[in-house]
Amino acid sequence: MIRKLLVILVALVLYGCSEEDSMFSSEAEGSVTNYEENLHGTYASTYVPLDSKNIVIRNATVFDGDGNKFQNYDVHFSNGEIQAIGSGLIVDGAEEIDGTDKFVTPGIIDNHSHMGVYPAPGVRTSSDGNEATNPVTAEVWAEHSVWSQDPQYKLALAGGITTFHVLPGSANLFGGRGVTLKNVSANTVPDMKFPSAPHSLKMACGENPKRVYSSSGPSTRMGNVAGYRDAWIGAEEYKKSLEKDPSQRNLRNETLVGVLDGEILVHNHCYRADEMATMINISEEFGYKVSTFHHGVEAYKIADLLADEGICAALWADWWGFKHEAYDMSIANIAIVDQARGGTGCAIVHSDSASGIQRLNQEAAKALAAGRRAGFDISEGRAMTWITKNPAKSLGILDQTGTLEQGKDADLVIWDGNPFSVYTKAEQVYIDGALAFDKASNFMPHTDFDLGIKEWEDK
Amino acid sequence: MKLFRLLLLVPLILFSDADDMYLIKGGMTFLPDGSVAKKDILVDEGQIILVADTIGDVGAENIINAEGKYVTPGLIVFSSLGLLEIGALPQTNDTSSDIYNAGFDPSKAYNPFSQAVRLNRAKGVSSTVHVPRASGYFSGLLTHTKINDGYKQKKQGPLGLVTSYGESYGDSRAAQLHFMEDLFDFVRSANNSDADEVQFIEGTNNEYKFTKRDLKAINKVLDNEMPLVVLVSKATDILNVLKFADNQQVDLILWGASEAHMVADEIARAGVPVILDPLDNIPGSFDSLNATYENVIRLNEAGVEMAFYYAQGAGAHNAYLATQSAGNAVAMGLDYGTAMKAITSNPADIFGLVGVGSIAPGFDADLVVWDGDPLELMSNVENVLIDGVDQDLSNRYEELTERYTKEKELPNSYRSRE
Repeated sequence: MIRKLLVILVALVLYGCSEEDSMFSSEAEGSVTNYEENLHGTYASTYVPLDSKNIVIRNATVFDGDGNKFQNYDVHFSNGEIQAIGSGLIVDGAEEIDGTDKFVTPGIIDNHSHMGVYPAPGVRTSSDGNEATNPVTAEVWAEHSVWSQDPQYKLALAGGITTFHVLPGSANLFGGRGVTLKNVSANTVPDMKFPSAPHSLKMACGENPKRVYSSSGPSTRMGNVAGYRDAWIGAEEYKKSLEKDPSQRNLRNETLVGVLDGEILVHNHCYRADEMATMINISEEFGYKVSTFHHGVEAYKIADLLADEGICAALWADWWGFKHEAYDMSIANIAIVDQARGGTGCAIVHSDSASGIQRLNQEAAKALAAGRRAGFDISEGRAMTWITKNPAKSLGILDQTGTLEQGKDADLVIWDGNPFSVYTKAEQVYIDGALAFDKASNFMPHTDFDLGIKEWEDK
Repeated sequence: MKLFRLLLLVPLILFSDADDMYLIKGGMTFLPDGSVAKKDILVDEGQIILVADTIGDVGAENIINAEGKYVTPGLIVFSSLGLLEIGALPQTNDTSSDIYNAGFDPSKAYNPFSQAVRLNRAKGVSSTVHVPRASGYFSGLLTHTKINDGYKQKKQGPLGLVTSYGESYGDSRAAQLHFMEDLFDFVRSANNSDADEVQFIEGTNNEYKFTKRDLKAINKVLDNEMPLVVLVSKATDILNVLKFADNQQVDLILWGASEAHMVADEIARAGVPVILDPLDNIPGSFDSLNATYENVIRLNEAGVEMAFYYAQGAGAHNAYLATQSAGNAVAMGLDYGTAMKAITSNPADIFGLVGVGSIAPGFDADLVVWDGDPLELMSNVENVLIDGVDQDLSNRYEELTERYTKEKELPNSYRSRE
């Protein structure tokens, strides 16, 4: 049993993911990738926010998610949107919340989660994160595996998570499409989907694909690279053939062409620095952009390159050593990536864990401390961007969430203290202005799975 | 009183090597009663010899100014530190055995130069209880090992025999109970057997095969020389294990125990301690559907003694994050003293370890100086003493950080390791 638990634990850690951030044209040029239809048609988000409050939080310490920390600030939101932040806001008719001694941040965003595709309880029958039957499965979509009743969502919500990105696992070179979800209770996946969030493609480097396919190939890192390039060549051919026959369908290539057209963001699980550099070469060969490298335990070794390329790195604060490619850890990894090229790096704290996602603020605190210890002058405001603005950018949703700016979604958290302290807890979480979690009244969503098993709650 | 103690010290001071003497001055010190107070600590010959409000000039050559800092006992973690270098590389894994089970003591394979050991030492860990992972019905023996620099480490053990109970892809948990009962009865009756090994149930697999070494370990549990340590989560399973231990008259420690809060009073009545991670709040299996952050709160209210470990991330490599687990327990409402004890003195108390886990005269000088609250995420370790020796806290990971943050004239690979 001990070993069994260990294997499950290691497996959870091993099955990482990847993602990307990038600008993309909204018009698919000449080709029919069905991307627009997928985003706005059949598979579109059907999310409807709950009724928004009209609230002004007074005299709080406010992290705007854009690098700033303001004392004695007010935050006003209504109609699902941030209306204003500032000191001494004049607001009529809003409910007032005393924010004295409290902290307000944007809703926390995790751009690497497997909630829903590896739900709790972790049993084979609902283990739906890795279509480990072929090294290239760009055709599968994580949203078609997500279980809407996963009891883990609300635990993340209690940690301030308002948006999370669900990725397929890392068994395959191309694991399939990821999906960005609002952390809301719903009976269908489209009801959770972040409206108009771009689709993502999970790719994976290194040990996992070559281990999973060691008998049939790829069994080496060079085999991995040949596999990526072969697939992209196939996608280019498919794209050309669309000119002759625009009505044909090929699920796998539709995803890959979506990347080549700049519509789908690449999220690339990749630990080693040299491999990340190779993956950048491949993206140049085929003319796409990597949004984000995920896990990147060695990202600090190529921090300048990542900053130059405008690629984000989604990292753990201090997890390491569970596999060979995760051995060269630096606890300053996140800070070094962040501070590269005069502070133009894009660092993200990710979880890849249903436990870690509940405390991304704590993980950011440890990374901040390590950065300062390594000699960097990093503010708390800056570190807050690692779990708000930067993951939003990485997911292509920064125009809608990630910072407390006027007109953005009113996704925010009220904390009972400084979120960089271990003793601090989220008191309230708002999603699109609606109260989603309230610690004091124990208000939170309960999935169907939760019903009937929590006899201790009424004790 | 204080003066009296100081007078007693005089002969000691005269005959001791001054190089071995450390005076840690003015740190906010975590005391055995769970309180934190400003104290001076005098260390000689590897032991703490005096803890007082003020200790004057006693000729200690090594003075650590801990004004404005915190001093705690070295953290005692539960891990495979020094037994496992890289999780997914079996070549570097000495935690498991297919030959032995109950008698398997992985601590014999301890590698003091493991990079994970060096990092954890730099993060405030002074010793570990080594966790065995043999593949048989029993996982093996727990042993306590100091993680000081150098070839020699003080050990205490065996401390307990580890097994698990509950969810299984194999036999019913009812059959698991039958088996344990039958096995213990058998070992009792075969106490004087000279057989090299025993195939307990003919025709079954290696899980039920016991060598002489294994039988000896089981006998120690039957003779109450060490406890049975059971990994178990489900509330009803915990009740069964409590009943089993009572029937068999063996000492018991519960491990994991995510649903322990539902039967906290029963556990308290049995006087059984629990070792757990306060962060385990996910219904990750059908045995832990009622997992909750409230676990530690309710166990504490019931009067159950607890020790904490950090079970997230990469296991042993992040064992030092027991501080984060303890900090979160405080955030959930546990009092600070109880949380700190759960990562220092309680592991020692639960396993009957001698001389570790507390800051008091006569205890080993396993001490950590922190620049802030040890449970806070942004505090750093400044000094680690193990057996009175100020440890080298350098580690590969700080070297990597420096290599990639300092100005470079030549490519990294041409630069000195320092």
